[in-house]
Amino acid sequence: MKALQIPAVLIALIVLAAVPWFGSDVLVQFGINALLLAVLAQGWNIIGGYTGYASFGNSVFYGLGSYGVGIAMVQWELPFAVGLAFGVVLSVAFAILLGIPVLRLKGHYFAIATLALAQVMTAIVSNVKIAGQNIGLVLPPLNNDLLFYELALGLLVVATLTIYWLSRSRFGFGLIAIRENEEGAAVMGVNTTLYKVLAFALSGVFSALAGGIHAYWVTFIDPESAFDISLNVKMIIMAVFGGPGTVFGPIIGALSLSAISEFLSSEITSIAGLFFGVVVVAAVVLMPRGLADMLRRFRTTGWRYFAENIKATRL
Amino acid sequence: MSAILEIKNVTRRFSGLVAVNDVSFDLQPKEILGIIGPNGAGKTTLISLISGTLPPSSGDILFEGKSIANMPAYQRARLGIGRTFQIMRPFPGLSVLDNVAVGALFGRGGGNAELARARELARAQLDFVGLGKNVDQRADELGGPGRKRLELAKALAMQPKVLLCDEVMAGLNLVEIDEVIDVIRKVRNEGISVLVIEHVIKAIKSLSDRLLVLHHGEKIADGDPETVLANQAVVEAYLGKRRA
Amino acid sequence: MDLLAQILINGILLGGLYAVMALGLALVWGVLNIVNLAHGAFIMLGAYVSWHLYTYAHIDPFLGLPITAVVMFVLGYALQRGLLNLVVRAPMFNTLLITFGLEVVLTYLAQLAFSADFRTINPSYAGDSIQFGAIVLPLARLMAFGVAIVLTVAMWLFLLHTRLGRAIRATAQNLVAARLYGVEPRHLYAVTFGIGIGLAGAAGGLYGTVSQINPYIGATLTAKSFAIAIIGGLDNPLGVIVGGLFLGIVESLTALYIGPTFADVASFGVLVLVLIVRPSGLLGKTA
Repeated sequence: MKALQIPAVLIALIVLAAVPWFGSDVLVQFGINALLLAVLAQGWNIIGGYTGYASFGNSVFYGLGSYGVGIAMVQWELPFAVGLAFGVVLSVAFAILLGIPVLRLKGHYFAIATLALAQVMTAIVSNVKIAGQNIGLVLPPLNNDLLFYELALGLLVVATLTIYWLSRSRFGFGLIAIRENEEGAAVMGVNTTLYKVLAFALSGVFSALAGGIHAYWVTFIDPESAFDISLNVKMIIMAVFGGPGTVFGPIIGALSLSAISEFLSSEITSIAGLFFGVVVVAAVVLMPRGLADMLRRFRTTGWRYFAENIKATRL
Repeated sequence: MSAILEIKNVTRRFSGLVAVNDVSFDLQPKEILGIIGPNGAGKTTLISLISGTLPPSSGDILFEGKSIANMPAYQRARLGIGRTFQIMRPFPGLSVLDNVAVGALFGRGGGNAELARARELARAQLDFVGLGKNVDQRADELGGPGRKRLELAKALAMQPKVLLCDEVMAGLNLVEIDEVIDVIRKVRNEGISVLVIEHVIKAIKSLSDRLLVLHHGEKIADGDPETVLANQAVVEAYLGKRRA
Repeated sequence: MDLLAQILINGILLGGLYAVMALGLALVWGVLNIVNLAHGAFIMLGAYVSWHLYTYAHIDPFLGLPITAVVMFVLGYALQRGLLNLVVRAPMFNTLLITFGLEVVLTYLAQLAFSADFRTINPSYAGDSIQFGAIVLPLARLMAFGVAIVLTVAMWLFLLHTRLGRAIRATAQNLVAARLYGVEPRHLYAVTFGIGIGLAGAAGGLYGTVSQINPYIGATLTAKSFAIAIIGGLDNPLGVIVGGLFLGIVESLTALYIGPTFADVASFGVLVLVLIVRPSGLLGKTA
């Protein structure tokens, strides 16, 4: 990190951590959601941004994390922390068992296989008794938004530190090499299968923890919302909007898009979703390498930046 | 001295088509072995079989006396087999330096765990192949000749015992070819065995200790370059039978 | 035994519709390398075009299909020419995202324009059926099946035997090929996407005759179309028939023998298995 960045990040962190003390309840609740989404975007960043595998299966990890907490707390009456650990174990098991065959697929095929897995998991969980079938589970309530907020922020910090380490470690270089050219990585000694599965599992750990925290916060889970594919699409949009394969891009993407969508739904309730779609389309066309890249290069190129992006990707 | 690499009756078929047919040869320590052959003779397939990106349909491949035919590519790389690609495939979004650093991080024996040390080694390797000025460029900004050198530097950064070069001279001008030949000779002098696949016969003739000719996936000649190039079957394979 | 036969028949009739649903998706994916997440939304729009033609202009849904297809073709052509062509060379994530964005936009526009109410296209013969012994063939489903098969085969003949079709197929291999056929690539891309969307529109028209429609049916239909396209494989246009019939039968059997809530497990489970075991589809070449 450059000299100026460290203090900037620390100040941002202190401000974020202080929000529950000066912000309204609504702001804190918005914050919990936005921070958890940022964790999900960072989780996706590991498998999608760094390794180049467009996973639509991260909502499965999120769902397993939610149900880990739900089942542990409701059915077995265990503490929250044990539930989180249970969700993480489920996610890692899923990442290894299904990651090994599915990560052999490339490009769109991987994306669709994970999409299908997410559908299968929704349907399976809807039929599992201990998970409350399609009715869901009601968790014991805990009215402590301060705790949930700081937990979410803490998790985001851990996820970001992990990715920072990734960006300058041998492991991270292996993942980037796989993204850039998988066969080339293999002949240079990267154990591609192991690395992909590890990245998938690591990505799953963060998604599961976010799911677990969210489940306890909202005190209700059901298969439809826990394994919601559109949540996965959100992670991708946020990561890609901010800048996939960068340390801070997905956070910027998640926080700014959460703010935009919150603003839209309060100002123009009925067509907020429409605007969200338009923002996504415009972002892909005008800044395909994400917000981080735009902020970096807009200063030197100015408005030409957008024209050059279009020129680079159009037919 | 025993061979470092032994290819034993290796065959590779692609749904009916035989790309490499019952080929056997060996590579001695510190030897430069040239392999030539017309287009479609199976040269690149052979390199892929040795480096592990393709499994052989039958036959065996020994490295330092042990079979590697069923080993995944990354394990062969860690044993000390480095290769370049004819269709150059750098890691396009990474800098030239980091492209090579990947080799130093993961190469023979599992490479170096330290990123800073790997970059240091990469820098030295880039100086060695003459790309010292381009370290900070993105790999996909390099021109054709630059990419050829980058391919070499990436493979060399793995500290291989055997270097497999797939047409590293194609598309280069005469001066550049001489520079690459010079690099390969230096590599050999450091104790690395080199297998060179090439189209440019003149270059490979002066470079190789021994020359092997593939035609339609089969070995049709193997011996010292002068004799092989005078061989009637080789001449016919290259120029076609003279019309009567 | 009669029950099993009836279930198989239902599956087959459903499968024909599935085939034409996936046909446009497979074409766009195979040729343009765009995985169109908005595909189901276009099917939904097609269904609404048919519904409007029937409700306000009293055009029979089957006779109105060509109109629906042409309207949707024009929309598809314009979208590819004006928007998607701007990003076709971008990384895969970006094309996925832009089509997802389109899906969101189309769904909301449909909700604003057509309301969230369920609609059905109910021509006078909607309740009629043909009886073969104990087996019942609902007329509308049978007609939808027939049209679906005809469309799929016609598409196959078009790709194989016309100059434009050959140009499209050649483009799937190599962009430069379009120029060899004397077609401007941007135009060819737009035509291909237009045909894909036109087929989606026709599928929507057929869907509306056998099932209820609302603005939110798109996402599920996209997911099903994927499953069908992959099970059938992308290299053979007739693959979607195999994929469609397969999925239709698997879903019907699962719903009967294991339970309706498992129908999706079966179809997507099969999809994952096919991807892992034979990534090029049931009809595709072995790797």
